Amino acid sequence: MATKGLEQRQFLRYVRTVGMTTMRGRGFYYPMDTTMSSSGRIYVLSRSFERAPSDTIRITMLNEDGDYFGVFGSGGIGNGQFRWPCGIALNDQNRVFVTDEYLNRVSVFNESGEFIKHWGTGGKNEGMLNGPCGIVFDQDNNVLIADSQNHRIQKFTGDGQFISSFGVYGNGDGRLNLPWGLGVNQEGEIFVADWGNDRIQRFSPDGKFVAKYGSSGRQEGEFMRPAGVIINQEGYIYVADWGNERVQVLGPDGEFVQTIRGEATNSEWADDFLGVNVEEAGARKRANLEPDIEYFNDDPHEESSHIEKLFWGPVSLMLDAKDRLFITETNRHRIQVYERNN
Amino acid sequence: MPERQIELIAHLARRAGFGATREELEEYGKIGYEGTVDKLLETSSPQWMSEYLIRRYHPDESSMLAGLSGLEAWLYRMITTDTPLLEKMTLFWHGIFATGYPKVLNAKPLSDQIRMFKKYAMGDFRHLLVEMARDPAMIIWLDNQQNHKDAINENFGRELLELFSMGVGNYTEDDVKECARAFTGWTIGNCEYMELRSARDSDWPYGRISWHYQFDAQDHDDGEKEFLGRKGNFNGEDIVEIICEQEATARFIARHIYHFFVADEPPVPQWPYQSPRDPEAIDQIVQAYFDSNYDIRAVMKFVFNSDFFKSEDCWYEKVKSPAELVTGVMRLTESVDRPKYEHSSRQLRMQYMGQTLSNPPSVEGWDGGTTWIDTGALVERMNFASEELGKLETPGSKELFDKIAFEGNGDVEAGRIIDICLKHLGTINVKDDTRSKLVNYASKNGVIRVVDQEIDELGKEKIAGVVKLIASTPEFQRA
Repeated sequence: MATKGLEQRQFLRYVRTVGMTTMRGRGFYYPMDTTMSSSGRIYVLSRSFERAPSDTIRITMLNEDGDYFGVFGSGGIGNGQFRWPCGIALNDQNRVFVTDEYLNRVSVFNESGEFIKHWGTGGKNEGMLNGPCGIVFDQDNNVLIADSQNHRIQKFTGDGQFISSFGVYGNGDGRLNLPWGLGVNQEGEIFVADWGNDRIQRFSPDGKFVAKYGSSGRQEGEFMRPAGVIINQEGYIYVADWGNERVQVLGPDGEFVQTIRGEATNSEWADDFLGVNVEEAGARKRANLEPDIEYFNDDPHEESSHIEKLFWGPVSLMLDAKDRLFITETNRHRIQVYERNN
Repeated sequence: MPERQIELIAHLARRAGFGATREELEEYGKIGYEGTVDKLLETSSPQWMSEYLIRRYHPDESSMLAGLSGLEAWLYRMITTDTPLLEKMTLFWHGIFATGYPKVLNAKPLSDQIRMFKKYAMGDFRHLLVEMARDPAMIIWLDNQQNHKDAINENFGRELLELFSMGVGNYTEDDVKECARAFTGWTIGNCEYMELRSARDSDWPYGRISWHYQFDAQDHDDGEKEFLGRKGNFNGEDIVEIICEQEATARFIARHIYHFFVADEPPVPQWPYQSPRDPEAIDQIVQAYFDSNYDIRAVMKFVFNSDFFKSEDCWYEKVKSPAELVTGVMRLTESVDRPKYEHSSRQLRMQYMGQTLSNPPSVEGWDGGTTWIDTGALVERMNFASEELGKLETPGSKELFDKIAFEGNGDVEAGRIIDICLKHLGTINVKDDTRSKLVNYASKNGVIRVVDQEIDELGKEKIAGVVKLIASTPEFQRA
């Protein structure tokens, strides 16, 4: 505990912000998840919402410096279309897999965004899906899916052949309640953001309960509806503590290390926008974007709705080859990047 | 408990909420009418569908980029709440302090305003008025950000007196000006930037930023004012205090309460020229207002326990607003237990019926009453209720089938089917003529047979047909 203060201060530090809000094209619109190819191409999955035009649902391709490579996917029920897209992941061939928690299927695209196939059937039997959301590949290149409304994790081959599943509804050890994000560590252990139970659960590669971390609350090491989890090469556990509007870092055995609340700055795209909208840029410059306010309630959601630099809807986490953490924020339509403070 | 007593509680449930299932009514029956009033008035810890669930599946209900975001979440709350009166009171105040999207152009502060109404809906009327005056959406809606110490803008001050508290004829033009002076400096933070973003409907670069109230002391006129015959260095809170002391205010609010909860009054602009439908009832509500020191909860308790409210003369006299109809129907289906993709369309159906919440037709809100009914709206209302209540697979429908199957094996007589369905849909007391037509319809469609405590699919479809027809009756469409 004596070193906690030091680590709290030093473990992660802010680097930059990527992206901005746009309904179409170069930008994001309610991003739910992000992944990166081996070449550094970033894929951001925008969910949009029910009443919006279908082309606002999309996957935006870019790199960290803001170079834009186009979009693919749209709203609908046809091939390559989505209703409630939720999770995105790449396999070792850089094929892009996207879950849809309304259509109960997984759509597969090539690296350029050309549709290949989709698989998955709605239902509760083994191999069927009810609200698939979080998605991650294990070391064997099989795909793990948080089958959220069946309260279980299912493993499939990349072609959608069922392999195994674990988890049932409940709050006991190994039980799940609307699981969302998934992570896999170097040993193949599976980490589940057990959303409805406000905790992270750790399972062996074959789905046996290993450990649980956290409980409901807003204190250090506690969670409120965690949505995402990822583990770095040293075993540190990063948690998108969605309902607390923060990211928490846990040590390899689950001990609390650090909380970050967000410190976004203008992205390349934001600067581009403000550069040509000088009136808005001027008013923004004159505004106090960190006002001292008496909030309506003590929910961090409220504070985040007022203070733009803070995380608002931190939903998913991604690590790049340099061990930098990319935090996708649904409500702020951007990604904040943090790195290890060595 | 006598059936008539259950029917009276059903009337209360329709007016103080969105109707109730037969099971809920029988539970209420155990504590009696007055006990039910007390239970409905107990709103200290309301429960509804988890906000986290709503935000997870409908992210636009969280950060609200779209024009009318926030309404789906409100509909979820109304459908799933265990304290329906609180939502009903929120609708009530929203109708009076009507604030709309076309000018505010930002769904988040509008949604925040609804949240504020809910918090203060059933407390001290003074607190509600002060919070309403501080509400960022209201400030922009009525231009109070342009109400300056050296150049007043009367818009908010005028509407505060005319539409929000006293009504025309009870104050002078000088009172309007003095009232406006007292509210100078009541503005929103970062006003220039927030107004500019709204004007451009800009959600760039990073989505909406919530608005917050800000008092600008430098821009506040703290000089002496004369308002409604009183003199002093009044600020906004002082003005609200004086307003709440006025009998005109009590009468104005009493008439609104009567109109919304008891029986239709003419549109507000006609009030100065047309007497209330029941002047004695208005007098009594005014007395309750002063006796309780402006406590709205106490006023509502008085109203719901009054003879004029309980009188059968006013049962089914009010046309349900689209919000009330959609909410009531969905509560009867018992099918809304978690967010669904299709939910968005229900909110749209409400709009097709003529009511878009947070988008009233004018600063005077909705007239209500029979203005909800025109040919198109009536068809939409009947279609919606029939479609939702006629679905065979909802928990509500399954309960109905079980109730009919409980009659025992054999043919179930058409009149009995109608009685069970009417009770199931909230204990609706239809006119004899209506009942005869319903029975006739049920008879024509052949018998419904129970075999081994089960009804076959054809029988279920026949029952659904009866339910659809009941949903189209005047009694179901009214409260």
